[in-house]
Amino acid sequence: MGITDLTSMAEVETEARRELNERLLRLREEASYYCYQCAKCTAGCEAHKLLELEPHRIVALLKRGLVQEMVNSDIIWTCLSCFKCKERCPQKVAPVNILFALKNLAVASGKEVPGDYTAMLTSAMGMGLIQDVQTVTTRGGETRTREGLCLPPISVPTDPAKFQMTVMTVAMEKV
Amino acid sequence: MRLGLFPGCLMPTEQYGYEISLRKVLPMLGVEIVDVMDLSCCGEPLKSINQMLTLTLSTRSLAVFKKEGLDALVPCPMCHLALSEANRIVKEEEDMARRLNEKLSAEGLDYDGSVALYHTIDLVHDHIGLEKVKDMVKVDLGSPDMATHYGCHIIRPTELGRPVDAENPQKMERILEAIGARSNDYAEKLDCCGGPVLPVHPDTAVTKTGQKLQAVQEQGFDGMVLACPWCHKMYDSKQKKAGETVGAKLEVPVVYLTQLMGLAFGIPPGELGLDLNQSPVERLLQKDKEGA
Repeated sequence: MGITDLTSMAEVETEARRELNERLLRLREEASYYCYQCAKCTAGCEAHKLLELEPHRIVALLKRGLVQEMVNSDIIWTCLSCFKCKERCPQKVAPVNILFALKNLAVASGKEVPGDYTAMLTSAMGMGLIQDVQTVTTRGGETRTREGLCLPPISVPTDPAKFQMTVMTVAMEKV
Repeated sequence: MRLGLFPGCLMPTEQYGYEISLRKVLPMLGVEIVDVMDLSCCGEPLKSINQMLTLTLSTRSLAVFKKEGLDALVPCPMCHLALSEANRIVKEEEDMARRLNEKLSAEGLDYDGSVALYHTIDLVHDHIGLEKVKDMVKVDLGSPDMATHYGCHIIRPTELGRPVDAENPQKMERILEAIGARSNDYAEKLDCCGGPVLPVHPDTAVTKTGQKLQAVQEQGFDGMVLACPWCHKMYDSKQKKAGETVGAKLEVPVVYLTQLMGLAFGIPPGELGLDLNQSPVERLLQKDKEGA
């Protein structure tokens, strides 16, 4: 990070906070107007049986403004983002989008990023993809490389420095 | 038809079977695949971290396509979702479009939402057409009964305009019929592979994989066919581990749609990357010999 980034940090912070709060406020209004707690979202939720996510409760908690409580809870990280809740809601509420916003807020608030996300993020910012080219094995146990399989070189940002300039300010935003 | 390839992350770095078969099969159906340089991750796997980052990454890659004057072949449903969303936002939200373009200007790029997106399934079903597919079939596959798995992001959310129906997807079934395979619907057809929680809850992710595979196996399907590198990573590459989580010996041949099409078109299995599949796909090949 250069000096310019450091000095402009305060401005970036304010903007990120304003945006996330605005997004959650919009989602809260939407949920309050439309959700009547039919729990159809929970009935079809892919993370319900194994991880006990109950999307209709997430919506109910948002209605009550209990944002910080959810941001501090691990439950928001159980969503599989399969979009069934959004697809099936008779009132066009999207619990999946509420969960994305809550997770974004947790990260932006400086909470620890769970699991492998940090590695994926670092790789995406560095070389452009969430992981570098892997060596694979055949069913018979022989190793194969991308090159060895006669596949063309991978497509990654040709000027990594410029690419990082474009995306880094976004990735570094913290509330 | 000339399309630029948006490979995404998983296909070009480990799911080589998809890329090899795609590059072999689609040109036979009149699609010229152009390699586009300077692309990056679509951002969708990082949406939980920062949605704005997802949008910036997607828009940047689409801007590269615009600069090259190409529409995009997007074989990964997750990428297809991210890029579709970027297209919608750039077209509908003026303020956001302006801000994204400000960011892109640093790389001399700009975007207006004009790049059309094609996924493997709708490209074959809607644009190439089943008649053309039928004409290419040279080998009798022996009519294997394949469980179809679409991948959540290519069927939902409808609101964003997805290429396949959300609740009763049938396009892959029609393609299977055209190449001499068949498919019965099954109760678990729309179940998620578990892949998206792999970074946070790896054990649960694989359990979900195992549950669906077990259901497919118990219902007597000859195999599973899909068109998503993430789902393939779960159902094929992690099948053994998935079996352990559900206490079952899973032996479900899992193939990419393009691999199965290639077999029907008479391409040798080795040229379709079938030796890279970890599941027992040789059973499907035997089936094809029995039928021939």
